[in-house]
Amino acid sequence: MTAIAATYDRGARVSLAKGWIYAGLVVAMGITMLMSLTLGYKVYSLGEVWAALTANDGSETATVIAGLRLPRALIAPLAGAALGMAGVLVQTLSRNRIASPDTLGLNAGASLAVVLATVVFGVQSLVGLSLAAATGALLTSVVVFGVAAGAGGLSPLKIVLVGVTFASLAHAVVEIILTSNEAQLQQLLFWLSGAFVDRPISLFYNGLPVVLVGAALAFVLSVALDAMQADDSTAASLGVPLVAVRGLAFLAVSLLTGAAVSMAGPVAFVGLVVPHIARRLVGLRHRHQLAAAALSGAIYATLADVAARFVIYPVEAPVGAITAVVGAVALLVLLMRRLA
Amino acid sequence: MTDIALSPRRSIARPSATVLAVAAVFVLLFLAGIGFGSTWIPLETVANVLLGGGEKTEKLVVLQLRLPRVLAAALAGGAIAYAGYLLQRITRNELASPGVLGVVDGAALGVVLFLAIFSGASNSLTVSIAWQPLAAAIGAVAAISLVFILSGRQASSAIRLLLFGIAVAAVCKALTTIFMLIGPIYQASQAARWLAGAVNTINWTEIQLMLAVLIPVGIIAGFAARHLPPADLDDISSRSIGLNLPVYRIFIFFLAALLTAGAVAFAGGVSFIGLMAPHLARLLVGRARAAGIVVSILLGAIILVGADLLIRVALAPLEVPAGTVTAVIGAPYFLYLLVRKDKTNG
Repeated sequence: MTAIAATYDRGARVSLAKGWIYAGLVVAMGITMLMSLTLGYKVYSLGEVWAALTANDGSETATVIAGLRLPRALIAPLAGAALGMAGVLVQTLSRNRIASPDTLGLNAGASLAVVLATVVFGVQSLVGLSLAAATGALLTSVVVFGVAAGAGGLSPLKIVLVGVTFASLAHAVVEIILTSNEAQLQQLLFWLSGAFVDRPISLFYNGLPVVLVGAALAFVLSVALDAMQADDSTAASLGVPLVAVRGLAFLAVSLLTGAAVSMAGPVAFVGLVVPHIARRLVGLRHRHQLAAAALSGAIYATLADVAARFVIYPVEAPVGAITAVVGAVALLVLLMRRLA
Repeated sequence: MTDIALSPRRSIARPSATVLAVAAVFVLLFLAGIGFGSTWIPLETVANVLLGGGEKTEKLVVLQLRLPRVLAAALAGGAIAYAGYLLQRITRNELASPGVLGVVDGAALGVVLFLAIFSGASNSLTVSIAWQPLAAAIGAVAAISLVFILSGRQASSAIRLLLFGIAVAAVCKALTTIFMLIGPIYQASQAARWLAGAVNTINWTEIQLMLAVLIPVGIIAGFAARHLPPADLDDISSRSIGLNLPVYRIFIFFLAALLTAGAVAFAGGVSFIGLMAPHLARLLVGRARAAGIVVSILLGAIILVGADLLIRVALAPLEVPAGTVTAVIGAPYFLYLLVRKDKTNG
């Protein structure tokens, strides 16, 4: 086992000690969160932010910072971290570097489930919505992997075709449901592309435990997942209970994706891009991959959220559109490299 | 290419009889699409008005209010299906279609850019709307070129084309969302509904523009299609007898992009019709070329007119974009093709 682990460590492109990498990531995450608090339509000084967060005097500045900036400065990194970890897990489970909660349709399935739960079953509570999102992601993964298995094995490229098609189906149904309920365009865009803006802070408190449970589950499975990276028979001969590990890992993916979608909608391609960054930084051991993916996912999502405020200033772009442009280009690059 | 061997069994009926039957279904659906509305107009009255008779009020309702919508659906559905037929034949890939290859989203991006750039302060266009199809065409041609350049020399590899198509479509979609927000709010909300494929707001000027693009391109494509390689010939053999040459392939891709643009420019991103219609046509008339084209066009028109009618019958008074309904039908169909294809391939 140690021998395998040692080989996996060599996957990293960066030869810094891991401690320094993590320290750098944590500092970067702190900086991006501060950027998220201070930068935007109006720029606030760090002093104003500190004052607003410690003693809310009811002034306009304090209200904007505590009521609008703080929720997104917390939700963006949490959702990014969750999607990053979910991306690592699905890429290992499908042994497929272009798999992600988006390309497998899990994001779209989760957002369809939330829309169904709200409109058809009248679910209002945030806990209920998170549960619905996780269930949607879980059901989608069962369906997508089922169809792909029916299509003659889980060929990496084929599973993406199935996932993308399923996503467009889910999007169409979301659109029909929301149009028939005379929802606003804004809400339609939200459930189709994701956003961190105008989210109540209660969503963060509600999503946090779900993400923590999902992350804990993922870390518990990390040794078994290391063994599964090679192939199933190697993993089995190392004593990994394959079925149980797969099932639990999919549960973790569903919790992480579901929590992210219930907080921010389906923010596109975060789970595709982030695992690649993480592997370059810390190599292939899942303990490190997951930790680095969580941190770099948080940084990536927060940066995208800050960028969204300036791309078409003074109007805000939906963050999902920004990550979609970056992610789609990354997908192109990955495809070209894979198929070269 | 093993895919060709999977062509569905030839139909037993004679092609000409099948073509007539499909055409009859189309005419009935077309008349029903016009007849259905706040008041039901009997089919014979509709037919009578279309042939030049009828009273003044009937004429007004049929010709000004109801015909544009149904005609636009028929034109857009037919054009996208035609494009799908050309793409499936030239790539020898039954999963290819304007939607999957990113052409639809490319055309949509072209239109949204056009609306964003040429909008005046009062939300009106600063140039003639006649340029809108050109914008769509530029977007469509750019998207399909990108897909083929990226796929490189083995552009005939099925999965490769599709994945690059999906990635290019994703880029276009994301850019579209951003540019929609740059445009004036009114046009953004219009564009959102249009993007999903809606035919309910089309007027006669737009229909004339559609016809001006689609008729010449369709005729040229009809002549060009005579040189499409037989479906059961592989790439190397068809090249050795002088068919399927690179220039010819590019020409066909170009025509398919223009047909798609002509449909998308005003009817929006109607999804999966370009995939379903040619495939169903092959089930009905086999590999016969002329019959294949005609039946593909008719089926495409039937699907979109039918989807639009379904929305008005089942979901009225809400105006759900027709493209969402075709996606709900088309996505499972694509999955079915994907699964079935591979089982046969072993």
